[in-house]
Amino acid sequence: MNAGATKQHLSRWTSAVWNVIGAVNIRAKILGIVLGLVALMGVAATIEVRLLLEQTLTNQTYERSVAVARDVAARATDLVLMRDYYELFRLLRDTQANNPDLRYAFVIDSDGTIIAHTFGSGFPVGLRDANTVTAHEHHRSVLLTTDEGDVWDTAVPIFDGRAGIARVGLSLVAREQTIAAVTGQLLITTIMAAAMGITAAALLTWILTRPILQLVELAKAVANGDFSQRARRWANDEIGALTDAFNTMSEALAQVERERAEREQMRSQYVTQIITAQEEERKRIARELHDSTSQALTSLLVGLRSLADRHRSPELKQQVEDLRGIVGHVLNDLHTLARQLRPSVLDDLGLAAAIQRYVADCRTRSGLTIDLAMPGLNNERLDSALETALYRIVQEALTNVIRHAHATTASVVIERRTDRVRAIIEDDGCGFDPASLSGDGHLGLNGIRERAALLNGHLIIESAPGHGTTLYVEFPLPAPPEERYEQHSVGR
Amino acid sequence: MSSILLVDDHAVLRAGLRLLLDAQPDLHVAGEAEDSRAAVAQAAALQPDLILLDLSLTNCSGLAAIPSLRTAAPQARILVLTMHDDEGYVRQALAAGAHGYVLKRAADAELIAAIRAVLRGELYIHPALTRQLLEELLPQMPPASPWESLSEREREVLVLVARGYTAAEIATRLNLSPKTVETYRTRGMEKLGLRSRAALVQFALDHNLLTST
Repeated sequence: MNAGATKQHLSRWTSAVWNVIGAVNIRAKILGIVLGLVALMGVAATIEVRLLLEQTLTNQTYERSVAVARDVAARATDLVLMRDYYELFRLLRDTQANNPDLRYAFVIDSDGTIIAHTFGSGFPVGLRDANTVTAHEHHRSVLLTTDEGDVWDTAVPIFDGRAGIARVGLSLVAREQTIAAVTGQLLITTIMAAAMGITAAALLTWILTRPILQLVELAKAVANGDFSQRARRWANDEIGALTDAFNTMSEALAQVERERAEREQMRSQYVTQIITAQEEERKRIARELHDSTSQALTSLLVGLRSLADRHRSPELKQQVEDLRGIVGHVLNDLHTLARQLRPSVLDDLGLAAAIQRYVADCRTRSGLTIDLAMPGLNNERLDSALETALYRIVQEALTNVIRHAHATTASVVIERRTDRVRAIIEDDGCGFDPASLSGDGHLGLNGIRERAALLNGHLIIESAPGHGTTLYVEFPLPAPPEERYEQHSVGR
Repeated sequence: MSSILLVDDHAVLRAGLRLLLDAQPDLHVAGEAEDSRAAVAQAAALQPDLILLDLSLTNCSGLAAIPSLRTAAPQARILVLTMHDDEGYVRQALAAGAHGYVLKRAADAELIAAIRAVLRGELYIHPALTRQLLEELLPQMPPASPWESLSEREREVLVLVARGYTAAEIATRLNLSPKTVETYRTRGMEKLGLRSRAALVQFALDHNLLTST
């Protein structure tokens, strides 16, 4: 349990740290590592050197203080015994002159009286008792801490203690200065090393990240569908291998894309052919129904009428009347069938007339209120394939509205501008989420999209559950249209 | 006795019609033609009182033949007999100079009445087709325009909707959210009493709001 908790704790910490480290870029990472190392080395070396130096200098000063004190004691013996205090004073002054770091020197006689000292005016209180030595000792040293810094105070007995004690104090101020100077030097060295480290790190970063950034640019281009770019191989290392792999991938993707585009083009050619063939076939059948079958039935109708007119038998008249009724029904059905297959109006009078007719049929058939507006689409004809596509799209869209939308009002707008034509089919029905456009219920919309795409058009769907549906289908129109008025073609 | 010229590319139908019409005491079929060229020649030669014309002829449209028939036989009345039941054809036939329009599927019941009406100098159009034509002829009510009562934003939105922009496009253009666009649109259309986009487009056309196209 406990181990598990610790592990969890650890992993949380690790991830927190990685979040911070991982967030910065490679340049910052490398610079951070280099600067950290240089700073660590610098600080460690400085501390080490300072400690070592301090110890060495302290020992050195101690040894010198002992040597100087013994020298003073030896040379002061006679002077003390002769009570030549003036010479004694000169001896102390000479000693001070020869040793610049000698802070003070004085001599105490066997009674404990200070008989000579190097202090110009006033002997510091307490200094006399700060250190002492017994007659049998070689010397005794004490590290005094004064307001002028540390001082090695050494006491040496004169003439085995019988002529008093010689005391000298060697200042350690020089030690502090030396250490400060060395530390400063080390700091300068550290900073220079850091500067060189930064330069080296920047160079390294540049070498490392340049190919990576280039690959990033390339990957973006590939994501945007541009497979033509290739990465330059900078070095023969792992990144070089990555670059090679990337280029190979781009090449393969480009190949796949080319094949896909070819297949897509073939597919849309096939679909265009199929749609054209279908429309042609429908047109032919519709014409056939109109021109031959219906004409024959009309002849039959007329013949039956003459038959009825020429005979007086009420029984026969009734029978002929029934037959005429049947023929009339068949004619009507054939007519409806022909129009559903492909309305002749579309070919003879154009899109506007055909749409008007279709919308009127839809109104009666479905009971739906359908408004229609076709600004800019009067007598001018559009390209026949485009008219067919727009007609079929409106047909499909209205069929969808009637079947699925549960709408009360629908509206069809076909707007022709100089450079494009846009059909908008809108309803106030239940709507749907356009993002979920895949199921079987939306096959109609896919058909519309397909038909639009074949003529370089596109479909935009705006809908939301409960807010109705609007389909926008837009086709580009090639050149500015020629003025073509009153160019009707009725019949074949 | 009125003379009639039958123009139809369907021989059996011509025969049937001739049988039917000749049986009437006041009518007789003077000639037949199966295409427009023959029809014009026959009309010029026979100067019939009435030409019964099919719109779907083999080599040429019956519609296109009407003016030349009028020139060939100026006093002849022209009655169109056709399968096409779209108002568009009716309008064009009347504009070209026809005096009547009968559907073939009503040939047995209405044809003779139509022929007599046209011969009397009346205009005969199959009843199912007259409604739309009349609606177009009726004077449009000058709509009272509440357009000025709309807010600036509502007007901007409605004009763009009428011009066919998608809600998303309008939102981008006017720097609004699609939801706000929808609100302005709904409110504006309510104020104008319009129920659909097509009605709005028609309104905009009537009020000349789409001038920039």
